[in-house]
Amino acid sequence: MSGQAMSGQPISATTLTPTIRVATRRALYWVVAAVVLVLIAVIVLASAGSSTTGVPFSPTNAAPAGSRAIAEVLRAQGVDVSVPATLAGATSALGGPTASTLFLVDPDGNLDRAQLRDLASRATHVIVLSPSYSQIAALAPEVGLAGVVSRSSLAAGCSLPAATAAGRVSGAGSGFRVLDTAANTTACFSSGTNTFSLVDISRGATHITVVGTTAAFDNEHVAQRGNAALALTLLGGNDRLVWYLPTIDDTSAKGRTIADLTPAWVGGASTLLIIVAIAAAFWRGRRLGPLVVENLPVVVRASETMEGRARLYQKGAARLRALDSLRIGSVSRLATLCGLPRLATVDDVIAAVASVTATDPAAIRSLLLTADPRSDRELVRLSDALLDLEQTVTRDIRPS
Amino acid sequence: MVFLMAWTGRFVLLIALGIVPIVAFDQPDWLGLWLVLVALVGGLDLLLAGSPRHLKLERELPDRVRLGETVTSALLITNLGRRGIRGVVRDGWQPSAGAAPTRARLVLPAGERRRIETSLTPFRRGTRRAAQVTVRAFGPLGMLARQATIDLPGAITVLPPFNSRKHLPSRLARLRELDGRASVMIRGQGTEFDSLREYVRGDDVRSIDWRATARRSDLVVRTWRPERDRRVVIVIDSGRTSAARIANEPRIDTAFESALLLGALATRAGDRVDVVIFDRRVRGRVQGASGPELLSRMVSVMAPIDPELIEMDWSAVPSIVRSVTSQRALVVLMTSIDAAGGARGLLGMLPQLTRAHTVVVSSVTDPSVLAASMSRDDRDNVYRAAAAERAMLDTTRVSTAIRQLGADVVTGTPADLPPALADRYIALKAAGRL
Repeated sequence: MSGQAMSGQPISATTLTPTIRVATRRALYWVVAAVVLVLIAVIVLASAGSSTTGVPFSPTNAAPAGSRAIAEVLRAQGVDVSVPATLAGATSALGGPTASTLFLVDPDGNLDRAQLRDLASRATHVIVLSPSYSQIAALAPEVGLAGVVSRSSLAAGCSLPAATAAGRVSGAGSGFRVLDTAANTTACFSSGTNTFSLVDISRGATHITVVGTTAAFDNEHVAQRGNAALALTLLGGNDRLVWYLPTIDDTSAKGRTIADLTPAWVGGASTLLIIVAIAAAFWRGRRLGPLVVENLPVVVRASETMEGRARLYQKGAARLRALDSLRIGSVSRLATLCGLPRLATVDDVIAAVASVTATDPAAIRSLLLTADPRSDRELVRLSDALLDLEQTVTRDIRPS
Repeated sequence: MVFLMAWTGRFVLLIALGIVPIVAFDQPDWLGLWLVLVALVGGLDLLLAGSPRHLKLERELPDRVRLGETVTSALLITNLGRRGIRGVVRDGWQPSAGAAPTRARLVLPAGERRRIETSLTPFRRGTRRAAQVTVRAFGPLGMLARQATIDLPGAITVLPPFNSRKHLPSRLARLRELDGRASVMIRGQGTEFDSLREYVRGDDVRSIDWRATARRSDLVVRTWRPERDRRVVIVIDSGRTSAARIANEPRIDTAFESALLLGALATRAGDRVDVVIFDRRVRGRVQGASGPELLSRMVSVMAPIDPELIEMDWSAVPSIVRSVTSQRALVVLMTSIDAAGGARGLLGMLPQLTRAHTVVVSSVTDPSVLAASMSRDDRDNVYRAAAAERAMLDTTRVSTAIRQLGADVVTGTPADLPPALADRYIALKAAGRL
């Protein structure tokens, strides 16, 4: 444009990027909010941590799955209940000269065969709760596993003092079967043919009791039936009770870690690589100022309705309708070519075209009016014939 | 505060170089030592970088540009700080402003001023805006940079291109022919009495004014000229159908082109042109302008108008035309006449207009429809051809209906419509139907 004015307006510069102080003030709310949220989360986790289910059969666990009730009652009765955290602690706790009972619960199988045998050999009376196959093979080979017992209650049915004191106990747990009939065993709480929930094996001065009725020992069920009598009589047999729950730290398997096999700089180098990756992402991703937005117009192609109609014809196989559209176009163009008035009928056009091209009017009539396409192939053929006819008429009327 | 700064590949490389001491000395402590070193070097670089906040910015910008043309936008940057600035500048234009290059290097010692030029080639009509200028100033080591975005709004109005002005000279020549300046005077319809002059040989003897001849001793003839000071009212439909694109040009842009050509032609022919752009409310109006001012006003009014996605309210058009002029006028309606359903409002309103005015309806036809009706080489194309024939039939039927209501129809492809409408105007003028 020739008449355009150059405007060099002085601008009082407003910097949109905040200064460090302003940015800190703006971010302060969110920083404080984040800190408060983290604090709340920590407090909630700390207070809720004790109320979770905790370790089953732990003497310090007051949850339904724990066994604190039994441990407390035993302590009140004067039994010295010690709860070692490690295998070494358990071994030393059993080391004294007085007769002692070992209550072993190891559902995860953290101790291997040698550790189990060593530990069991130090106690006067070993009580194993719900042992696994390997544990039972290590500690009491006279007994075998007999599957799950799901009866609601079991009767004692033997002369073991603990069992007779209990009378009936909760049945849920595992059952055992006596394999070595020659051994000096007492089997109680029968739940079918040769299946017992408690088997006591006497080996001279020491004896080992395999117990399957897990329900009898947890806080939730200990007050039911004779559960308490069974648990207390069994565990309170000696003045010393070592209540030991092996943990993953007691496992004997100690392999070499990847850290032992790699050079010392690998850790530092990989940390550096992570830092480099983050720095490179920031280097490439940092924008040179925000985007400038603009509203874009709607883009609609005008031929869209035509395309849509074509697909509708094709989907509905509307061959006659499609052909009729083509015919109407051809007829009007032919009428114009032959110099007929706008109000001329199709019959007039047919007659005119037939005379111009010197062909049979019936064939023209079939093409322009009556032929009904039965298939797409026929439709294409008729459409080509229409174009041919138009070209022929054009040639005949205006010879070049 | 990472969003106040930026860093370069050099800084990343510096961090990555820490791998050398970590591996060479094989001690984990080196990671921390290296990071401290990097922080020290980076901090020093950042401290020594010039401040992008102490800049004075000015824009030099033309007000208007025609679509398709290129103008230069200049940015004047004065460094008011104490340190020099070495860095990158980005002038933040909207994408459709077509700014290039989008970023420029800047070396600006303290107290000096630099001019940064950006060429703008907008590819959309309307007002294109710049929002801000972002400056990134590197430190002496070229590792860390301070970055700030400074608010600096700017706007440029992108006018309709008026590509059809190439048709103007030939049409003006035909208008002059009509006017009698290039050819003999013709008495007849569409002319009015101009003046009396002495008879010269060759004049039509039928134009001798005997009464004036009797008053004087010489033979006197009457001269005639085409009608002047007629009214032309152009109504442009900015409703939803005008948003449709034909040959990658919205219908409304073709309508603008036609209106500009018609306006240029009619104002040279001595007629008064008024333009109303309307959908449900008047979006733009040019009234009472003539000569070069008319075109200038028209492009300014048209520039920011985009079609609205609402239906055109045809029932209000007669009253709008009445508000423009009470005389008999040539009313040009620029709309689309694609389907009988869509044209119902137009057809219902037309008798009110044709009673008092000469009405021309102009509509763009789609060249791809015509091409589709001729291409029938496979099954899909035959169905497309059928749909195209149906679309053309619809247009023909609406055109016929409009003609029966006493109005005239001009159709053409986007390239052909403006000259076709101009030709129709000249024909109407020659026939004295204005």
